[in-house]
Amino acid sequence: MVDHPVLDRAAVPVEEPAVPAVRMVELTKRYGGLTALDRFSLELGQGEIVGLLGPNGAGKTTTLRTLLGLLRPSGGRAEVFGIDAWRDPVAAHRHLAFIPGEFAVWPQLTGRQTLDLLGTVWGGYDRAYRDELIERLSLDPSKRGRSYSKGNRQKVAVIAALMTRAPLLVMDEPSSGLDPLITATFQQLLREAKQRGQSILLSSHILSEVEAVCDRVAVLRQGVCVEQGTLAELRHLHATTVEATYVGTPPPLDDVPGVDDAEVGDGVLRLHVTGSPDPLLKALAQAQVTAIQMREPSLEELFHAYYDDRADGA
Amino acid sequence: MARRSPVAVWWRAYRHHLRLARNAALAWIAGLTALSAGVAVTVEDRVGSEAERQLLESMHDVPAFEALQGRMVEIGTMEGFTLARWGMFGILLAVWAMLAAVSLLRRAEERGHVEPLRAGVLTPRGLLAAATAALWTWLAVLALAIGASHSALGFDPPTAWALGGAAALLGASFAAAGALASQLAATRGSAVALAGTLLGAALAVRVAAPATTTPDWLWWATPFGWMGFLHPSDASQATVLLALAALAAVLALAALALGRRDLHAGLVGGEEASAPRARRIGGQAGLALRVTAAAAGTWAIIIGVVTAAFGLLTHDFIDAMAGMATMVELGREMFGMALDAPEGMVGATFFFVAVLLAAAAAGQAAAIREEEASWRIEHLLARPVGRTRWLVTRLLVSAAALLAIALAGGVVAWAATRLGGASVALGDALLGAVNVVPVAWLTLGVGVAILGLAPRATAAATYGLVVAAFLLDFVGPFLELPDRVLDASPLRHVAAAPGADVDVTAALVMLAVGIVAAVVGVLAFARRDLKEA
Ligand SMILES: Nc1ncnc2c1ncn2[C@@H]1O[C@H](COP(=O)(O)OP(=O)(O)O)[C@@H](O)[C@H]1O
Ligand SMILES: [Mg+2]
Repeated sequence: MVDHPVLDRAAVPVEEPAVPAVRMVELTKRYGGLTALDRFSLELGQGEIVGLLGPNGAGKTTTLRTLLGLLRPSGGRAEVFGIDAWRDPVAAHRHLAFIPGEFAVWPQLTGRQTLDLLGTVWGGYDRAYRDELIERLSLDPSKRGRSYSKGNRQKVAVIAALMTRAPLLVMDEPSSGLDPLITATFQQLLREAKQRGQSILLSSHILSEVEAVCDRVAVLRQGVCVEQGTLAELRHLHATTVEATYVGTPPPLDDVPGVDDAEVGDGVLRLHVTGSPDPLLKALAQAQVTAIQMREPSLEELFHAYYDDRADGA
Repeated sequence: MARRSPVAVWWRAYRHHLRLARNAALAWIAGLTALSAGVAVTVEDRVGSEAERQLLESMHDVPAFEALQGRMVEIGTMEGFTLARWGMFGILLAVWAMLAAVSLLRRAEERGHVEPLRAGVLTPRGLLAAATAALWTWLAVLALAIGASHSALGFDPPTAWALGGAAALLGASFAAAGALASQLAATRGSAVALAGTLLGAALAVRVAAPATTTPDWLWWATPFGWMGFLHPSDASQATVLLALAALAAVLALAALALGRRDLHAGLVGGEEASAPRARRIGGQAGLALRVTAAAAGTWAIIIGVVTAAFGLLTHDFIDAMAGMATMVELGREMFGMALDAPEGMVGATFFFVAVLLAAAAAGQAAAIREEEASWRIEHLLARPVGRTRWLVTRLLVSAAALLAIALAGGVVAWAATRLGGASVALGDALLGAVNVVPVAWLTLGVGVAILGLAPRATAAATYGLVVAAFLLDFVGPFLELPDRVLDASPLRHVAAAPGADVDVTAALVMLAVGIVAAVVGVLAFARRDLKEA
């Protein structure tokens, strides 16, 4: 579906596959004395889904609002398909659709009026796809904005963004307020968007969401990007848990590069290894190992590793 | 988290609302008290000679003056002179109390700030009672401020305290009316329209009371009329206070009785029933029209009521003036108004319309800012809509709405004048209307400049400037401020057309300043961060 008419209309940069959908270079945002975002660089290739992960106050919303040109960067720059987001927001926004974290409605407009307004303002939308989205997310579009619950407002936001089939989707904690069933539908919609070739930048503090849909992750902590990479890469940077049983003398684990927290008990050992496991395997080979189990950290554990640091530091 | 008792929760909500209303309340309390005290201390200067005293006394019972000012009793005395001013001050106070109540009860809800409060133990009635009680508390402070300051300045002490109490109760009544409207209407806009219509109707009856063709009991038909019976010589202070207290209590009880509506809903309006018929909005210009139309309609009604009331009085007024050569001369000298001709009366009417239209313009600036404060603006600006285009669209739609409101007022003035038995040409009435548009556009331009440079101050500063200009123009002369200071009020440069020639230079200067201010605002807005409330 990459040749959908709306996508075609989305002009030059999309046809130039070398141009990343999003490029942030040393993007910085200060509010008075507070640095909410500190020299954040990120590139989002076309067709990629990247998750921006961080707890409340990490700077996710600030990042996305600066990317949209709603906030003026204090330093660095952000580009959408090669277009500077602050200098030419109108051109940049022709290529993207945004789902905010909190959708403030016009209380007097119905859901349908709001969708039509936002679609018209964007420059057109796919009516059939809108109706399909309304159906799949089970929204009643005839209600006035003021009578929508938070979840329903969020559905309006999701539909308004997806129905444009913009080549880039930017989302700020998009599933907040959605119930689990609708969240599953929403994730399915994201996967379909990816199959169509749309690029997605999504912020979240919910790990499972990011784990379910994202190719790559950038982890923000207090405005600083502490880690960036594919999920596989992130896991490799972090300790793998190793448990082994052995008979006879324990293997010599002192001074093995990458090994931490080794606990050697009676015929059982447990340790964490970071980086290449090769030195560890060579050390283990010197003992008679009867069983070995290695477990990669879940994103949850990675996450806690970052934020526990903060607790120590603060 | 430990569960709090309902009383403790209510107390918290009450204190929360006290805080929300604090800044505006303190400004109004200080402003009104200082204003009234300022009038009281300068009475001596003003009625120094016996001739001046007699001239003032002769204004008593002239329907036209009482229509403008409210009832006048012994205005040669400090009490009488000051109380006569409260015809005007009372209206200001009522407008503020009403808007403050609607704002406390409705705006927070529309921004979604109320759900967290209501999600707890607080009932809808509890919330309503907390907001109303908070406003009443501030009004009690106003009563103390006026009572104490005026007694200290040499007012007859019982009258000083009666004035303070009556002012507070008048405010309390309109705060309760605002609360009631908030229960009935489904949106803040329609609540303001409802309460504003009520206020406008009361005002129209008060304005009509002094007319020779209307019965005398009309004075007693509205709370604005009651305010005219506070002079000791009327011996009605207790009655007035009781009547006002009863009105405030009845309105508050009515609001409480209805205070169980759902969040984001009203008891009237049939919102859901009308929803399927809802028409397309079109693009962002369509949206600008749609969100401007509601407020513009309200102001058109308010201004229509005022021009209708004055129009109906014109005939009486000219009749009375025919026998008062000194007064006509005074009007010509002081205000440049031909008070003995219908055109002069239309000019005087649009003097008031100028103030109202400027307030409407401040309201437009505040509404534009509200779109940003509520963050709804993000939906447009995150799409291919430039900031400049968005703001300029809103600005032009507002400017056109102000012009339309003024013209509608012109047509109503023309029709009502004829209906009242006098005659004025439609062209002249429309000239009077167009003549007040530059001052409104100036206000709008300045409001946009504030929006660009200090967005969070937009509503307060723009309304504040209008109130300051109004006070300078209407009260300043009595305080004997130097001309240079008085001339700072643009309202002073609005000629009383059609009774007098349009001051083209002043109009052009106002337009130029307004446009420059708007350009500054647009440029600043395009360069800054968006700012939430
Ligand atoms: N308009 C603002 N003015 C001042 N500080 C702000 C503003 N917006 C956000 N912040 C601060 O910037 C930091 C990052 O906030 P935000 O980007 O909203 O984080 P997240 O979306 O990850 O929860 C927080 O410390 C927050 O308090
Ligand atoms: Mg956020």
